[in-house]
Amino acid sequence: MTRRWPVLLLVLGVLVLVTGLVAWRATAGDERLDRADARDEVVAAATKHVATLNSLDYRDVDAGLKAWADASTGTLHDQLVQAGEQDRQLLVDQQKISTAKVLEAAVLELDDDSATVIAAVEVSIADGASPDAEPELKRNRFSAQLVRTDGRWLLEDLGQVGVGAA
Amino acid sequence: MTRRTIVVVLAVVALVGGLVAWGAAWQERSTDAARNGAVVDVTDSGTVQREVSSAIARVLAYDASSPDETQAAAEELLVGKAREEHATLFASLVERAKDQQLVMDVEVQAAAVQQLHGDEATLLVFLDQTSRRATDQESSVAAAQLVVDARRVDGTWKVSSLRVL
Repeated sequence: MTRRWPVLLLVLGVLVLVTGLVAWRATAGDERLDRADARDEVVAAATKHVATLNSLDYRDVDAGLKAWADASTGTLHDQLVQAGEQDRQLLVDQQKISTAKVLEAAVLELDDDSATVIAAVEVSIADGASPDAEPELKRNRFSAQLVRTDGRWLLEDLGQVGVGAA
Repeated sequence: MTRRTIVVVLAVVALVGGLVAWGAAWQERSTDAARNGAVVDVTDSGTVQREVSSAIARVLAYDASSPDETQAAAEELLVGKAREEHATLFASLVERAKDQQLVMDVEVQAAAVQQLHGDEATLLVFLDQTSRRATDQESSVAAAQLVVDARRVDGTWKVSSLRVL
């Protein structure tokens, strides 16, 4: 027995190593874990992008429009780019500084590469023409469609959840 | 080095490697993301979403001609801190409601689960509150956003906290 203990220790070591590697490998292909990660990723992306699309500073409209374009994809992206070109001067002239904050967001639906997220948003709108005035606060609620392209979640559609919309 | 020493060294290396692998596996499964069953546990998420929506619609509805209904719904569907929060929310309304014979209907537009840990859940709820005055049939609709905590008691989800955003 005393002469055999190194061999037994080796057997035990190999056993722990093999089971450990199997347990570790299993986490990589675990659908639950993948789905949990995707859920948190899409909430984080929606929180950021929905705030972006509700924010614009008239002092740097170009940067704001670029941020809108970067946060979106598909038809929404095209619409935003087009609207940006048409309304650029209007956005400058309005002299508004909109700063949005997503207060809460949650996943309504989640597939492999698409998701629906609802978000409660607070937008503070300051008037550049009267900088001393208190900014106006608005509460909105949104439903956002996101798709995963090249590993990034981007907005494909964004709409307000209107009153009586159900 | 004797053969015996080599075997011992190999054994120790395998043991340490194995423990590290187990540790990594355990860590992967105990992150906040992995512990949260929202959306991942499809059945439970669906159930809590449905039951909380219906509970919220009932406890926030009000009819001045039968105020006991709201009270009964509150007693049935609210637990803990939500009772007080609900009472505060309704105290001022009840005052007005009596004079104007107010009727309030609630429609949940959307409800989604943020957190789900066993028998505890947190949801984001969008709802419409339609109030109608029986005195002149004047009606108005208001949008509201709530963060709702829920707790499963004897198999039924009850509201344990309400926060208006």
